[in-house]
Amino acid sequence: MTKSTLIRWFICICILLGCTACKTEHRFVKRTEFKKTNIIVICFAGQVDESWANNFKSFRINELQDPDIQLKVDRVELSKDKRTLKIFMKDPLNKSNPHQVALPDIMSEGKSQGTAMVSVKKLYWGNLISILIGAMFIYNYVFVKYLGLCVYLGVTQKKSTAIGMGFTFTIVIIFSTSISWFLYQYILKPYQIEFLQIIVFIGLVSLTVQAVDTILRKVNPILFKEFGVYLVLIISSCLILAVPLIMAAQNYDFFESLMLSSGAGLGFFIALFLMSCVRERIDLAPIPESYRGMPIAFIVSGLFALSFMGFSGMSIF
Amino acid sequence: MIENNKSYSNIFLNGILNENPIFRLALSMCPAVGISTNVMNGLLMGIAVLFVQFCSSLTISLVKNFIHPRIRIPTYTLTIATWVTVTDLVLAAFFPVAYKSLGIFVRLIVVFCFITMRLDVFARKNPVFPSLVDAVGMGFGFMLGMMAIGGVRELMGMGTLLGYDILGFRPLLFFVLPCSGFFVVGFMMAIFNYTEIIYNRRKRARSVA
Amino acid sequence: MKEIVKITIGLTLTCLIAAGIMGGVFIITAKAKKHNEYLNFKENMLALLGYNQTNPAPDSLQLCTVYRYLIYQGDKTSLGYMLPVKTKKTKDIRYQFIRVNIQGQFIDKFDLDIETAQTNDIKDRNKAIAAVLPKEVSQIVFADRFIAATNNDKRLAYLLPGKSPGFKTHINFMLALDSTYSIVGLQILEHQEDPGLGAEIEQEYFKNQFTAKTSERLKTLKVIKEPLPDDQLKFLERKKWAKDAYSEKDIETLQKKYQDKDICAITGATISSVAVVNGVKNVVTKFVYRVKVLEKIISKQNISVAF
Repeated sequence: MTKSTLIRWFICICILLGCTACKTEHRFVKRTEFKKTNIIVICFAGQVDESWANNFKSFRINELQDPDIQLKVDRVELSKDKRTLKIFMKDPLNKSNPHQVALPDIMSEGKSQGTAMVSVKKLYWGNLISILIGAMFIYNYVFVKYLGLCVYLGVTQKKSTAIGMGFTFTIVIIFSTSISWFLYQYILKPYQIEFLQIIVFIGLVSLTVQAVDTILRKVNPILFKEFGVYLVLIISSCLILAVPLIMAAQNYDFFESLMLSSGAGLGFFIALFLMSCVRERIDLAPIPESYRGMPIAFIVSGLFALSFMGFSGMSIF
Repeated sequence: MIENNKSYSNIFLNGILNENPIFRLALSMCPAVGISTNVMNGLLMGIAVLFVQFCSSLTISLVKNFIHPRIRIPTYTLTIATWVTVTDLVLAAFFPVAYKSLGIFVRLIVVFCFITMRLDVFARKNPVFPSLVDAVGMGFGFMLGMMAIGGVRELMGMGTLLGYDILGFRPLLFFVLPCSGFFVVGFMMAIFNYTEIIYNRRKRARSVA
Repeated sequence: MKEIVKITIGLTLTCLIAAGIMGGVFIITAKAKKHNEYLNFKENMLALLGYNQTNPAPDSLQLCTVYRYLIYQGDKTSLGYMLPVKTKKTKDIRYQFIRVNIQGQFIDKFDLDIETAQTNDIKDRNKAIAAVLPKEVSQIVFADRFIAATNNDKRLAYLLPGKSPGFKTHINFMLALDSTYSIVGLQILEHQEDPGLGAEIEQEYFKNQFTAKTSERLKTLKVIKEPLPDDQLKFLERKKWAKDAYSEKDIETLQKKYQDKDICAITGATISSVAVVNGVKNVVTKFVYRVKVLEKIISKQNISVAF
């Protein structure tokens, strides 16, 4: 795929995600979001009356899964242009759960705009980006989850092999995870044959590798000469099976699994690249005889793993 | 046919010493680094791998005459995947505590290179009993390796072995952290290499003298 | 051509045999898995109430589960409770389903056709409930459950399972509240925290800090980053180290001294400690609100519940 096609796809996906974030359930409420630890912000399509806004005792706010427990409002703040309402809650909000806000009889310029029942939840694309960054750094598959080590050690002798392997791997994992998602959601789950996951996923991976192999051979023989040899190695890495298994266990939807697989691939790429840089230099250093080769590679990986531990516990959005 | 020089004990010891999957062949390192935080985990993982390898070797050496040579790799993968799923389901049902501590690694036994390699190299060409001995040898080698790493990490990290307090205090919590697996495996491999170098040096000295 | 046919047949046959073996094992193990899970859960419940192998539970101890459901009918939401009730004639426990609106007022009640053994399975429960509700109901969703432990018709404790997002993934725990809604004990069922750091939430010196805290105190409970004072540490771990060193009076005075203290976090595991505290707070405040509503309805409607 050429660079411009990739960029076009990326822009389309961003627009799609942006659109899903902007819709709400009522035509007069434009946007809802959480702010800080106890604020709900509601943006209206027009100006609301201050008298209606000050009558916040009639607002009903609750978590979506607990409709019977009403959360207490401390005070409200209407912006100068009267289009944005900030609701300050008494207790800190549990932002990981979606909340429901019932605004009865919204009065705008003397006219009632009806009763709005809108939901407030964390931004969808924020969730996607946190999965991506999580898979890349916080839960990096090589340094934090210890998967794919055989391939990682075998291929990082030189920078060129590492880059080639990383690139091929990212493409294969994105394709195979996407197809695995369809099979899991539409065949394995409805018929309750989830125990066949392992065979199905590994079969899919082999098929994807075969397909990429054949396509690359016909479409771009030069690229095939450079990257083709890595395709066979991919099947023997734990990582290629672990990503679909994790996607199945967490029950992600399509965009989330796409982010997970891209993050895993890119994280693997970063790990390979870093390790190959170090290993090229180590080969020229005077190392005791018994440490040469595998042992020093392991110790260096241990140092990388220690440093990646610094990312743990980070949460974005 | 079995090669005439190899007896059963040779085949068995081969899996533990000469071709130890973790320290010599450097394959399937993922669980060695990831879950060998204590001896119990190492033992359980080793038993799971031993079971899968035993059953797969048994199956393949029984049906080796019916496998078409061009589809042998998919057949091996299918056999291993079946036995791994069986192990996974049985562990989840009857040993839930063990299953939780092993996590996702039980299902990843499918992609262990050394199981497929043994099936291709040994089980396909030899009758049932030697293949079983080889499988048990390899499985034991893996299990002993995992238990050794687990023993070091548990003793140095928590001061216990198999849950029994030995030291009474915790020397270095670092060894129980996930990343120390790399260091421990690296150092143990270095020790293996070192003993081999010394052994070769002595052999050479003796042959010269 | 012949080769390809042979290969395809060989592969298909192998796949079918493999699927057959796996299916067979799945069917055999699925039942055992459910049974073992239930046994494990029951053991945890009894441990929370103070019964174990050396101190077995009396025969008069009864554990009844109450299931809470959310019922969606058009744009109206209501709550449903599946209650175990005593039948006057036999000593069996039957189940009734009552509907409550979100303001806490009783709507209606139905008798359910379900056996006690079937209530563990969510599908059987949903089927029995859907069979009695009116057709306009669009969706019923299982929300959560609590277990009431009674001994000789006296309410001993309420057991609440709960889940909280921890440092790594989730922390599953179970709380025991007595009839005044103060905490009797906390048990950590499942977690994936780091050993030596977050996994210390399983230790006595963290769990026992929650004992005897009232539901009012829980509303303002915080986590403080101070080390535990020595005498409190010894007191919390008394079951492990010093079984006979404390008399009844000592236990009472020490309990009173530390009853209203905030929870001391585990060294190096603040996020896990905060996760457990927030989870406990959430579960208890919601439960206390709901159980009060439920008690009012039960007494008004004269439902002879089995607890």
